[in-house]
Amino acid sequence: MSIINRLKSLFSEEKDMEEKNISVKISVDVEQDSSDLNDGIVSGTKTSVPISDVLKKEEDAEKSEVTFKKDVSSIEEQRVEEDLPIIEEDEPSNDEEIPKVEEEESKVEEVQEVESVEETADEDGDETSEIEEEVPVEESLDVEENTSSDEEDVNTDDEIESAEKADDDEEEQKEDKERDNMTLLTDKELLTDANRDPEFTAEFIDAGIETVKHCFQCGTCGGGCPSGRRTPYKVRQIVRKCLLGLKEEVITDDALWMCTTCYTCQERCPRSVKIVEIIKKARNVAAHAGYMAKPHKMTGVFVINTGHAVPINDGAKALRTKIGLSEVPATTHADAGALEEVQKLCKITAFDELIGYDEATGGLKE
Amino acid sequence: MEIAYFLGCIMPNRYPGIEKATRILFDALDIELKDMEGASCCPAPGVFGSFDEETWATIAARNLTLAEDMGADIMTECNGCFGSLFEANHMLKDDEEKRAKINANLAEIGKEFKGTTNVKHLAQILRDDVGYEKLASLIEKPLDLNVAVHYGCHFLKPTEEIGIEEQAENPSILDDLVEITGAKSVDYKDKMMCCGAGGGLRARDLDVTSSYTKEKLDHMSAAGVDAIIDVCPFCHMQFDQGQTEVNERYGTDFAIPVFHLAQLYGLAMGLSAEDLTLNAQKIDAAPALAKALGENAK
Repeated sequence: MSIINRLKSLFSEEKDMEEKNISVKISVDVEQDSSDLNDGIVSGTKTSVPISDVLKKEEDAEKSEVTFKKDVSSIEEQRVEEDLPIIEEDEPSNDEEIPKVEEEESKVEEVQEVESVEETADEDGDETSEIEEEVPVEESLDVEENTSSDEEDVNTDDEIESAEKADDDEEEQKEDKERDNMTLLTDKELLTDANRDPEFTAEFIDAGIETVKHCFQCGTCGGGCPSGRRTPYKVRQIVRKCLLGLKEEVITDDALWMCTTCYTCQERCPRSVKIVEIIKKARNVAAHAGYMAKPHKMTGVFVINTGHAVPINDGAKALRTKIGLSEVPATTHADAGALEEVQKLCKITAFDELIGYDEATGGLKE
Repeated sequence: MEIAYFLGCIMPNRYPGIEKATRILFDALDIELKDMEGASCCPAPGVFGSFDEETWATIAARNLTLAEDMGADIMTECNGCFGSLFEANHMLKDDEEKRAKINANLAEIGKEFKGTTNVKHLAQILRDDVGYEKLASLIEKPLDLNVAVHYGCHFLKPTEEIGIEEQAENPSILDDLVEITGAKSVDYKDKMMCCGAGGGLRARDLDVTSSYTKEKLDHMSAAGVDAIIDVCPFCHMQFDQGQTEVNERYGTDFAIPVFHLAQLYGLAMGLSAEDLTLNAQKIDAAPALAKALGENAK
């Protein structure tokens, strides 16, 4: 990929203006296709464009796209179509167009990425493959950040370790260039329909969290996430995986539970994606698939047994009495009938079964 | 004016001084706090909300019906309870399908969600229904304290739905309420950051939670504050008990006492540390109290 792209990037420098023009039209086209399919995979940048408007542009965009392919990438196109599975498709009329268009778009992005890497390298007066020999370590890290840019992980700690890393830089940079950073894919690990569970994605849509489709992976969420600063929790990735339907990856990952639901991501999301709702929904699916931590189940047990997640204790009773409050609050703690109501509701919704509540012992089964 | 007073779990069952201060404050404001008899956990969004939305909404809706039957709006002074009840109320008022489903569950215990109550936070009522002037008239002992205000997460966010502040990342409501007591709200780095306890994280991974709390304490400490002010008993517990956990894990010696906004008002109205159960908290409040009240005692 990298060799072809480098060739392409050389070629594309000549056609710079032309390409920019085309890439805009193509993303509009892709987006329209996606919404037609109700497929949920939207990577364009204007999801709110009315379909009727897009339809008008469709013809023009297709023309441009064809020209572009002939001009720039006929060789690669051939290779790509052999290798890549056809994206899920409902409308026969678009059958041949969609994979090409999406492929074209991703190629354009790749070209732009490689360009940006080489630009950085050129500033250092060097070729990317030889950076570590002449470029100061800090600058080579900059290159690395450009190419990996997964989260905002590069910090001063990396600089301390940089001397050790210098030997590995060449290899790492090769790997980095093989990575397509706008998706979760690497060349070795292709995502196919077989990996995807459309029903998982549909659960979010059905739950009213349609905004999951609007994410364009800008990373603003992860940039402000206090959990992402200290744990493997990568909120941007999880949203993307939910949209792609990578159910197993999402629900088996412990990091899913590292979110405190602080809403910083959702407040800052430029697309108003209801990120916290997505995380909570993904957790619901995980919980129903059996991925529940025992301390969480125990909190549920407390509520079933007392009506409170944090029940009263002797110390609190004494304090309450001392300051002139009732010994126990006028809640389920003081009202057996009310507690029974809560318990009945937990049975109706099968919450007791979900957490493995054992009525006989008042604890967890097992 | 009457308000259905939702207690939640941590306040009445761990920090009853917050409840006591609130009752005295509202007596002075001539607002009747009516107990929501038989109320339960809100329920905890980190567990119920994360495990099963239907159970979460059903139990929350049961609590909401108690206030509907009383014909009053709900007040809570816990961000978790506020977030849970507000969100459930909002969702069930908006979404007929979900409302029908939840009401089918509630019918089994003879209740029905009607959508006739509003869920409000203590601080919101103090600002919007009481007003700063009336509050200022209650202050007997202006407090000489520099405090770090901790807003918490579920009080203002998501802004789009809650709307207490237009800019939840740059709010002023708590700073204003704090300064009425004479205390000074000191700015500090990452003021709007989470305490680390929410979303079920405290129960699941105390190490990660503690690392959040340490970051907050580092920044508060750097700003040289005498106390932390919160509006959520769960944040309160995290800064109080959690502070000792941070000290154990990191070998630090943080000792910043923690006051709920209601306790701060209690102090300014002349209540004792015992009445506010400050003496039962993990972090000793005595030095801050001596400073807060010292000059005014002359």
